Amino acid sequence: MRHFLRLSILLIGLFSGSSSFAADTLPPVNTADDLGPQVDQPIEFPHNRHAKDMGINCMYCHTYARRAPVAGIPPLQKCMGCHNGIESVKDKPRIKELFKHWDEKKPIAWKKVHDLPDYVRFNHERHVKRFIVQQDKPVQEVCGYCHGDVKEGTVARRQKPLSMGWCVSCHEKAHPTDKTAQATAQGPNDCWQCHK
Amino acid sequence: MIENEFNRRDFLKVLGWGGAAVAVSGCGFTSVQDGVENVVSYVEANEYMIPGIGVYFNSTCAQCDAACGITGKVREGRVLKLEGNAASSINRGRLCGLGQAGVQAHYNPDRVTEPRTGKGEKLDWEKALGQVKEKLTGVSGDEIAFLTGNLSGHLKVLLGNYMDALGSKNHFVYDAVAPAVMRASNKKAYGNEMPALRLDKAKVIVSFGADFLGSWVSPVNFSQQYAQFRKGVNNGGRGVLVQIEPKMTLTGANADRWIPANPGTEGVLALGLINALGAAGVSIPSDIAASVSAYGVERVSKDTGVSAEQIQKLAAVLKERSPSLVIAGGGAEGYAHGSQNAAAVALLNQVLGNVGKTVEAPSVVPFPQLAPTAGGTAGLKAFNDGLAAGKFKVVFTLGANPVYSAPAFMKLADNLKKAAFKVALADAIDETAAQADLVLPLDSAMESWGTVVAEYQAGDAHIGIQQPLMERLYDNTRSAGDILLSLVKQQKADDYKAFEDYYAYLRGAVVQAKGSLGGAGMDDDEFWSTVLSSGMVKTGNASSSLRTSASAVTLPAAAVADAAFPLRLLPYVQPSMRDGRHANLPWLQESPDPLTTIVWDSWVEMHPKTAAKLGIVEGDIVEVTSKSGSIKAQAYIFPGIHPDAVSVPFGNGHTELGRYAKGVGANVFQMLDPVFDQETGELAINETHVKVSKTGKRVIVVKEEGAAGGSQAGKKIAGRLASNNVDLSKEV
Amino acid sequence: MSVSNLLQNWSAVRHTHPVGDAPHAEYKWAMAIDLDACTGCNACSVACYAENNLPAVGKDKFEHGQQMHWMRIERYWDEDGRDMPDQGAQFLPMMCQHCEAAPCETVCPVGATNHTADGLNSQVYNRCVGSRYCSANCPFKVRYFNWYSYPDQEISWPSPMEQQLNPDVTVRTKGVMEKCTFCVQRLTVAKHNARNEGRLVQDGEVQTACQQACPTSAISFGNLVDPASKVAKQWKAQQVELAVDKQAKDEGDDSHEVGEHHSTTKLRGYRIFEELRAYPSVMYLERVRESAV
Repeated sequence: MRHFLRLSILLIGLFSGSSSFAADTLPPVNTADDLGPQVDQPIEFPHNRHAKDMGINCMYCHTYARRAPVAGIPPLQKCMGCHNGIESVKDKPRIKELFKHWDEKKPIAWKKVHDLPDYVRFNHERHVKRFIVQQDKPVQEVCGYCHGDVKEGTVARRQKPLSMGWCVSCHEKAHPTDKTAQATAQGPNDCWQCHK
Repeated sequence: MIENEFNRRDFLKVLGWGGAAVAVSGCGFTSVQDGVENVVSYVEANEYMIPGIGVYFNSTCAQCDAACGITGKVREGRVLKLEGNAASSINRGRLCGLGQAGVQAHYNPDRVTEPRTGKGEKLDWEKALGQVKEKLTGVSGDEIAFLTGNLSGHLKVLLGNYMDALGSKNHFVYDAVAPAVMRASNKKAYGNEMPALRLDKAKVIVSFGADFLGSWVSPVNFSQQYAQFRKGVNNGGRGVLVQIEPKMTLTGANADRWIPANPGTEGVLALGLINALGAAGVSIPSDIAASVSAYGVERVSKDTGVSAEQIQKLAAVLKERSPSLVIAGGGAEGYAHGSQNAAAVALLNQVLGNVGKTVEAPSVVPFPQLAPTAGGTAGLKAFNDGLAAGKFKVVFTLGANPVYSAPAFMKLADNLKKAAFKVALADAIDETAAQADLVLPLDSAMESWGTVVAEYQAGDAHIGIQQPLMERLYDNTRSAGDILLSLVKQQKADDYKAFEDYYAYLRGAVVQAKGSLGGAGMDDDEFWSTVLSSGMVKTGNASSSLRTSASAVTLPAAAVADAAFPLRLLPYVQPSMRDGRHANLPWLQESPDPLTTIVWDSWVEMHPKTAAKLGIVEGDIVEVTSKSGSIKAQAYIFPGIHPDAVSVPFGNGHTELGRYAKGVGANVFQMLDPVFDQETGELAINETHVKVSKTGKRVIVVKEEGAAGGSQAGKKIAGRLASNNVDLSKEV
Repeated sequence: MSVSNLLQNWSAVRHTHPVGDAPHAEYKWAMAIDLDACTGCNACSVACYAENNLPAVGKDKFEHGQQMHWMRIERYWDEDGRDMPDQGAQFLPMMCQHCEAAPCETVCPVGATNHTADGLNSQVYNRCVGSRYCSANCPFKVRYFNWYSYPDQEISWPSPMEQQLNPDVTVRTKGVMEKCTFCVQRLTVAKHNARNEGRLVQDGEVQTACQQACPTSAISFGNLVDPASKVAKQWKAQQVELAVDKQAKDEGDDSHEVGEHHSTTKLRGYRIFEELRAYPSVMYLERVRESAV
């Protein structure tokens, strides 16, 4: 194994100029769902209750997704906007916890689930514009490309590999440029488009 | 990050190339694991605060007294980067390296974070301020002294009120590298301490040692004017810069002709030029012509070491190309006859008819009470004299570090011990704070409120607003304004009870005057938010005027050199280090000196001829000795210095001031000789005579310059075009 | 191909301009630096530290040539044998020239440095394995290697200095090469904003950190494809073309040589080491020196 590896790095060195070599030897891209670990959150947030039962649009809460690189966790204020008026669940432990944070004006320290390496730049807004605005696809479907079927889960859990090969597998596909057009375009393929 | 990913890094680790794998092993910057990092949302979000997108706030730079407008980029509650504020007429969106490093002053790891006693015990604010009150009890006003750096705006007002409340007149203003002699001579010559200089309108600039591109008065403003001057925007062709100084500064390095006149003979050269202009047919008032008649070209050439041909050439260009602009700076002023030198230079300006053309009446903020204090070393001397006489019992310092920058002959550190209680308002433990009995920790400039009035106003006069760009990093620091307000409340609680803090005071003061600040039609909140969003208040200009009449200048005879100390020490005010207060900023320590390209150290500049005579080569540790002290530093062989002089930069050689400054280089302040400008009493920083000897040690000079030592090795790298009378204004 | 054949037919096998057949469609980022305006003040360099998370390395590492300034000011003296440099010094801001036929790119064994569609020379840190071939092959010596893990070095970002780090720029790790990116993070934002409005980035909409700081506005930066951009106008006015290795205006002129250049055309534009056929994207404008004084 060691010898094999040593040889292969030598080969990469020799043939780096030749793109055909690289294309032939790409490992198969894993597009299967790839479930991340279960992450304990300070409040066990039920996505299914909100996104499925109540039918709330993802971007009602993750409001920055359409105008910023990051989707953002909603400010507590947003939670309170509804929960202040929902008497029926006010005495539930999770909601009590929510009110406690609000009363103390103390932000909730959520754990990051969809973490990308520091050298990767991902822009939610671009993807929202491309698929929801231009192609007019349903919001939950588009968000689901990367986040899986959130409405069926409770606490967020990574559903997809979020690896480079997985990103590229979609960037390489021909996507219609808008709802009706026959024309298609691929996602960018430039290193610095995603790497920083 | 992903378990089943083809992991190139593990692959490399196997081969013993594991170094590159550090990226994924959690050094804190590249964690990629699910559920490891926190993501914290706002409790209540401002509409304009969007995660991942920077928000910009305007404020005023506090790194030097030029008071450039700045715009701070804030992301997720942290200030990341400073840019120039495009609306400021001083810097018009530009910012120098010193200003850029303002964020490092803010995030500096060596900031002092809690009030503490001289022994290092931590105190809370109530106790700390209580101590001040207690120590002031029973002490008369005359026994209290307050030493500050230059102050302006409402901080100056508040300090004035505090001193009044204490019945003290002992507010001393100290700036170690101030253009104080120039102010006085300008006042005499033009009737104004700081006239507006229009470099952009001049066809020729002759600068006698004014490093206006580097460290002099308002470098960013002058740099912009310089660009226009070169481009020929307002002066009908590319302007020509002549720099007369025995030690090449950044401005000298950019001159078309750099003339290393003998140190101290700047006045002689100026009078010689007047004489030569008269001989060339420029009309000169007869009394002045008579007064310069002794300065014939031959004699001037002999005194200054500048060739007769060069003097004639310079006079011819000055005659032919008008208007010109003649400036006197630190290089010409730092002598016992510095005032006369500066007066001779001003006279040359007047003779050339530049007053009113390139020397204009300045813009003045019409609130004299907010005008900046114009400090120099005379303030330090007065302070020190008081200390030496044992007059002061309680001493405050703010924005000044006299224990570091006072020359050793003043014995200031010893004298300071005579004061029973010393309070230092400081952002880091510098040499002065280290001797204090009480240290009151200051907010950084990115955390405090303030108003700043620039001494050099360009274009529309304005008051710069300083506002916090982020929350305090440390709970227990306070702004200078808040501390002074608390102190003044100790004395006059009733007068200030309406103001909960300095912010309230400042807002009250600015809003109260809104009628005269362009906010007549607005309600208070609207006006205040306009002020904050622009980061400044345009005040309109108070009337100012210049005197145009000229009077003759007499110069003293040249002093005889002391054979024991054959070389003259010309200390250098480095653009990034200035008087040493910024030595704790690593970006500036690592930013090479533009001329020598040396980093993280002091050096002794010597001309190759001088070095050869003394048998010194680059890297020799040499001892530079004056009558008053000595330093040891590495020698750097430098062509841009007069052979009879050596130069050492100010700013390094700290014994305190944190990890980046402590123990770096040598402190040249302490070896200055006790010579003062005879008219203003300012310390004459170029009047120290020294001898240089080898210590036998040699080091490698750490510098940016490569082995080729400034040679292009026959290649065209930095291109140069020799051309006369070019006009670049038609270029895109 | 034998070595002798290679050497004999060098000009034929040398790179011609690589994008001659596929020109940049929307953007070609380029720069022009006026050396007559540049004062050598170092503001650009410090601004670059602030913008791009460059570590201060300290004296010891600086001594070993391990400084990380992507933008440096080179200082030269006239070489005419005089005692005194009486026409001052010559300053030259030097950073990655974003060559169109970048010598660094062809030697990278892992393809970590590439050309982008915008004409930038990209460096992908997570791909870099630290062979340093690129640096060895760079004629301008503007590539900087991370000999240490600077986040772990006490001098670089001791707490709370790490709070100043720009989140849009990676903090590089030990063992990777880095260099000037033309502030690609700013370009990305500008392109993103422009695309949201269905247009291209306009001239002046995006500035590099060095350009923004420069007190004399000596640096201009923009899109060479856009004929209305300042930088395109400058290149055109100076008759400097991107895709040639000897400018037409320089025919019969030996201005590749050092020293004063007595131009007949009064055109000041030139690129450094143009004859090496790297096709740099940075044009310099010669400093002017008046001899009447």
